[in-house]
Amino acid sequence: MSIRNLFIATVAIVAIGTGAWLSYQLMSPSAPPQWATVLPAHGELPEFALLDQSGQPFGRDGFEGRWDLVFFGFTHCPDICPATLQVLASARTQLAEAGQQPLPRIVLVSVDPERDTPELLSQYVGYFGDDIIGITGDLDELQKLTRGLGIFFQKAAPDGDNYSVDHSAVVLVINPNGQLHALFSAPHKIENFVHDLPIIMSGR
Amino acid sequence: MKPVTLAVVLACLVFACSVESVPLAATNLAISRPLPGMPMSAGYLTLTNNTTQAIRITRVSSPEFESVEMHESVLEDGMARMYTLGDLMILPGRAVEFARGGKHLMLMRPRDDFETVTLEFYAGNALILSVNTTFTE
Repeated sequence: MSIRNLFIATVAIVAIGTGAWLSYQLMSPSAPPQWATVLPAHGELPEFALLDQSGQPFGRDGFEGRWDLVFFGFTHCPDICPATLQVLASARTQLAEAGQQPLPRIVLVSVDPERDTPELLSQYVGYFGDDIIGITGDLDELQKLTRGLGIFFQKAAPDGDNYSVDHSAVVLVINPNGQLHALFSAPHKIENFVHDLPIIMSGR
Repeated sequence: MKPVTLAVVLACLVFACSVESVPLAATNLAISRPLPGMPMSAGYLTLTNNTTQAIRITRVSSPEFESVEMHESVLEDGMARMYTLGDLMILPGRAVEFARGGKHLMLMRPRDDFETVTLEFYAGNALILSVNTTFTE
């Protein structure tokens, strides 16, 4: 083998090796999430007493035992809220099709408890697919949860029943220990959740 | 000129004239069906001003809904906010897009069951565009 050929073979081997190493780093469980922010210290949730879409009590322990994607919105929101829930539901579907286990539950926490009754939430969340629940209840109890999680919401320009609610657009990831584990900032894209959630839920 | 070529040229001229004759054009129209239990829906479209004058849309209505408002969703410092647009200026030859996460029509309180929605755009008291569409599934 000539020196030239030996040089070419060496370069090729190094290039292939580097590519394989990079692929392994990107695909391996040790690769960090690209879009989500994983909290260095997982935050404990506050105590609160709300209701789910069936009217059943839902408190802090309702978040224990599974991974949850939590979004704060309201049913009378015509644009961002249904779009975000659609993104989350589509991401969950894609993860299921890819064989991901476990799959996260999707939780809509209503920031409009005045209008969002359990009955209304039940109709609303059911539209977006399986394993999506809605939470509502007294304003005081809702604020215990939102303040504890750093979520802000405020009724905007109230005009009778025709009003909007400004709210944090973040999606929170709650781990099976009922702790705030990570968060996705808006704008939300399906592929971001599909890429990062398996990494986050693997606990690495 | 061959008859076929002549026909194509005439068709192009007619098409061109018909496009230019529409001062305000609506394309990419998409209206979602009201979600279960919800008294409102959202509408998306692109409005194109084909004239040499600015067009100010001051009102939108629909016979199928009690009220239609132009809104804009914005993300500001991590907060989702929604503003009501009092009117909408479209410059000559320009288009304005109503899309998810941005400008949208909020259609409130449907009057009855229906499959076709008519949207009417006004400049002052003048109806300048009326379009029909079905719900986007």
